[in-house]
Amino acid sequence: MITINHLKKEYPNATPLKDVNTVINKGDVISIIGPSGTGKSTLIRCINMLETPTSGEIIVDGENITDPNCKIDKVRQKMGMVFQSFNLFNHMTVIENIMAAPMQLLGKSRQEAYDRGKELLRQVGLADKMLNYPDELSGGQRQRVAIARTLAMDPEIILFDEPTSALDPTMVGEVEAVIRDLAKQGLTMMIVTHEMNFAREVANRIFYMDQGGIYEDGTPEQIFDNPQKERTIRFIRHLKVFEENIDSKDFDFIGLVSKLEEFGRKCRMSQRLIYRVQQVFEELGVQIILPELNDKFHMELSLEYSSDPENIHMQLKYDGKKFDPSDSDNDLSMRIVKNMTEDFKYERDEENNMNHVSAVING
Amino acid sequence: MIDIEKISSNSGELKLKLSGRLDTTGAPQLEEFLEKELSGIEKLTIDFSDLEYISSAGLRALLAAQKKLNASGGVTVQNSNEYIREIFDMTGFAEILTVE
Repeated sequence: MITINHLKKEYPNATPLKDVNTVINKGDVISIIGPSGTGKSTLIRCINMLETPTSGEIIVDGENITDPNCKIDKVRQKMGMVFQSFNLFNHMTVIENIMAAPMQLLGKSRQEAYDRGKELLRQVGLADKMLNYPDELSGGQRQRVAIARTLAMDPEIILFDEPTSALDPTMVGEVEAVIRDLAKQGLTMMIVTHEMNFAREVANRIFYMDQGGIYEDGTPEQIFDNPQKERTIRFIRHLKVFEENIDSKDFDFIGLVSKLEEFGRKCRMSQRLIYRVQQVFEELGVQIILPELNDKFHMELSLEYSSDPENIHMQLKYDGKKFDPSDSDNDLSMRIVKNMTEDFKYERDEENNMNHVSAVING
Repeated sequence: MIDIEKISSNSGELKLKLSGRLDTTGAPQLEEFLEKELSGIEKLTIDFSDLEYISSAGLRALLAAQKKLNASGGVTVQNSNEYIREIFDMTGFAEILTVE
């Protein structure tokens, strides 16, 4: 359906795409992931020529769209684009937003555009908002309207540029559900996203982008469970790992609790597991260990998340005298820790004057 | 972060509502509040419906109040969420306080 050969995009100060080569097949749902600044959005913006490639070619259904003689508007009609910031017309009602392009570009009658618009709004769960204006809707609803508007052009491929990045976390789910539905219908889609669980579950193919190209291309299982290349391995590992150093008894406890919450949400942990992780750290690290440490100390907290079964492997390392938390007279905190963990282990590294505690926190 | 709201105080009964987290930073605030408010009080009732989380620090603050009021009426906790109820059960606080 789309073949990309030696695609390069250069800006005066950066070259996000150095050499991209791939084939996108009909029905592919591709999640594009990777660190910031690795050309993920640039790639999909080049595919519908919102950005002009510096060199290379993009062939859509046999037509080279990078050829200056190509009628790009015709090719663009095959492609829908959903932006981070919705890009709806605020002076038009929801249904008018959806009807405009099919009437102007596809020559549909008002009635046809209206009927199809209504059907699409029903599909994205917003039939009752037809006559509202965009600014009367929540962010999640606006993005669903934007998706319906894209579908109204009957595209063969839809390009999503971080469709949930501008949304309040509570609204991410409703937009993802609509995209998931479209994937099931067999539409060809490319989705740039930072929501890794979504990227994994919606797609049949993942592009991990790094170093100016598609650094690793594989099934969700290959990329997330068994990445082969060094940078992919590092990126995937980093998604599941949380590390924090604590060097003062007056450390920012509230800040750390928030970071744990954020990490939990990123991994899509259950709220119960998030609370348990916060609790085990608070009981063990703050209530039991901290009072035993010298004023000058170093403590390292590291967490590694596993989804099946859902648990967290926690490690706490701290310097100073030998102190096994199980010997603490803080029975209340220790009882909570023991209740919430399995495989609680303490080891002393005499040579480096360090104490190591590890445990598995279950969801 | 903890928010302590005084609902009422009459006939020796103080009613409070807690919102947020009763943890290492929230518990000292509750202790300080109770220090001022418990004189002349026989019974303390706390609505936990908006409390998300409790740690041992929070349990200790409740225990101190319970000890103070033990002879008169003690501490009653209402509307705790499932997570907090689990903490009460695993620590034996379900037996120490009146949990409704």
